[in-house]
Amino acid sequence: MMSSAVPGPVYLDYSATTPLRPEVREAMRPYLEDRFGNPSSIHGHGRDARSAVEDSRRQLISIFGAENARLVFTGSGSEADNLAVLGFARAHPDGCVVRSSIEHKAVVAATKALAAGGYDVREAPVDARGVLDLDALAARLPTDPRPTLVSVMWANNETGVVQPIEGIAALCAERGAVIHSDAVQAFGKLPLAPRKLGVSLVAVSAHKLAGPKGVGALLIDGEVELEPLVYGGGQESGLRSGTHDVAGIVGLVAAARIAAEEQEREARRLAGLRDRLESTLVSAVPDLVVNGGDAPERLPNVLNVSLPGVDIEGLLTSLDLEGIRVSSGSACTTGSVEPSHVMRAMGREGDLARNTIRMSLGWGTNESDIEYVLERFPKIVERVRAFA
Amino acid sequence: MSGGVDSSVAAALIAERGDQAVGATIKTFCYGTTPGTSKSCCGLEGIADARAVAQRLGISHHVFDLEEEFTRDVIDDFVAEYARGRTPNPCVLCNSHTKFRDLLRRARMLGCDRIATGHYARVVRENGTSRLCRAVDRTKDQTYFLWGLDPEALERLELPVGELSKPEVRGRARALGLVTAEKPESFDICFVPDGDYAGFLATRLEDGHAAFQPGPMITTDGAAVGEHDGYCRFTIGQRKGLPGGFEEPMYVVRIEPEDRTVVIGPADALDSRRVTVAGTNWLSGPPEEGREVGVQIRHRGSEVPGRIEELSADRVTVRLYDPHRAVTPGQSAAVYDGDVLLGGGRIR
Repeated sequence: MMSSAVPGPVYLDYSATTPLRPEVREAMRPYLEDRFGNPSSIHGHGRDARSAVEDSRRQLISIFGAENARLVFTGSGSEADNLAVLGFARAHPDGCVVRSSIEHKAVVAATKALAAGGYDVREAPVDARGVLDLDALAARLPTDPRPTLVSVMWANNETGVVQPIEGIAALCAERGAVIHSDAVQAFGKLPLAPRKLGVSLVAVSAHKLAGPKGVGALLIDGEVELEPLVYGGGQESGLRSGTHDVAGIVGLVAAARIAAEEQEREARRLAGLRDRLESTLVSAVPDLVVNGGDAPERLPNVLNVSLPGVDIEGLLTSLDLEGIRVSSGSACTTGSVEPSHVMRAMGREGDLARNTIRMSLGWGTNESDIEYVLERFPKIVERVRAFA
Repeated sequence: MSGGVDSSVAAALIAERGDQAVGATIKTFCYGTTPGTSKSCCGLEGIADARAVAQRLGISHHVFDLEEEFTRDVIDDFVAEYARGRTPNPCVLCNSHTKFRDLLRRARMLGCDRIATGHYARVVRENGTSRLCRAVDRTKDQTYFLWGLDPEALERLELPVGELSKPEVRGRARALGLVTAEKPESFDICFVPDGDYAGFLATRLEDGHAAFQPGPMITTDGAAVGEHDGYCRFTIGQRKGLPGGFEEPMYVVRIEPEDRTVVIGPADALDSRRVTVAGTNWLSGPPEEGREVGVQIRHRGSEVPGRIEELSADRVTVRLYDPHRAVTPGQSAAVYDGDVLLGGGRIR
């Protein structure tokens, strides 16, 4: 096929992954070059690497405001989620896991595997705004005193809707349940205070906040028993064996530090850009629906919309061809688009469930990117609708 | 881009020209549930190969999910035709609907003006009209499958490999280092890769459908021969699976689904001097009555001459100069004037 458009790509998929910040790359560089030691070695090279890992750990714990908590470096946010959920279940064979209906697939699939093995797994619904229903959660907590983990993400990866973590924490404190929160999207975008709220387990990932891919962490605050998923040399206090990715860990913490320093200002800047994108699209594109727009709080950088009457595949491809890089619900291997479990959980059906577009902004996004999108997006939707 | 060598080279020729090209593979069938389909041209392996070729050519590649449209326009018709005792040609329907109409709609949705495919046929543009002509490599010519093409699609169509021979196409692919250069050709119907039509129909028709019920087998003289095990297993001109003991070889000459009768007869009973087709499509207007034309009634069959005897809004009857064998209801007839494909229809 032939087309005449010459695209200049605008990347609006920061919730999928982000470009590495130059400062992060510089922080990592020595550990990819001269300071290559294995932190488990006892010699000088090893000690040097070890101190980089332990410094990083202390700094990250401090960013969480959780002095003296434990923190395990993992290979991804998904692994951190799995360690929390499966690790808890293995340590408490007679326990229970209650998760929200809009968790990331890392938690959904891990709990599915548990349920398949006969474990007590329960699902708490969200309302039409995409916010966890606290009463429904309360009704799903076991009435007997069995060990219970409640897994609710801090902010949803598709809609950006922030979950009522404070209310959930209060409820869990009352009922003696442990909270795990997947904060992969929220980390660096919101001020997180897990200890203050009483959240024991928090999963994060580096590449969502301008850090490298392939590294995550699980904060473990308080007396929570977990069993490891990866056995071996006993690194990370036995909770995660395997030689440390020292450069990755240093990169994660450098990115987290920058995000923490800039958080307030950057949140205001991104919210300004996002709000402009949102209000212009709402008025320029007929029938566009903002998902989660009516929730009390959303991440400042995410805009999720549904577009009735479009061919979503055609729209995504058109946007890509015209240099607008966004994402939709989960795609299968051959590229066809299935409605997401998040939209279904919010009670969306048909076109509103299937035809969703997520635009997510980040540190590299500027005014001219938003201009570029606003200039093209409404025309593309119009064209795609014309050939539907 | 099916992941075969022809569409790979078509893409290369377009990309070489410097136009902004976008690679696309249409997904027509749910490959996950049918074992063995990975070998067929449009299966997952095809998608992966098409993607690799696009990458090699430096163009983007996208998968268009046309499963719903393909099921509606091609598979459902295939099943319904067999159920009616006719022998359909799904590739023609796929070309009429899925590969051109639906693909073009998607292309235009993306802002593309034209589409190109790897078919062996040529689009000749003269004085503002576009004509579809036989390929330079006559042994590979695929115009027979293209009679149902929408005239609007023809306007927006490019067929770059129609100017090349198959060995030239393979040579180009080799020279460009395309992974598909040595890929064998596919002959099967893509959604029945094992060739077991009856088995496929059994999964799509309700249990106990007449097409699978035993019925009488008789000769053209009306003599009972025995029973057959379901008329959907037979096609006009078929010799295999018929009882022996006749003086001359016997062929299926007719299927009568109303009473599930399969009629067999000698070779000359298959001969026909008239081809009537319905649901006609003309690529640039219908030809006039009395015009001399060529008719082709199967893909690898030869073109036979005749004259247009009768023409109506959606039908045409061609009187052939000489009798032609096994004019099979449901199959396609393509009508030519020299190298130019005028149109065609389905044999009544």
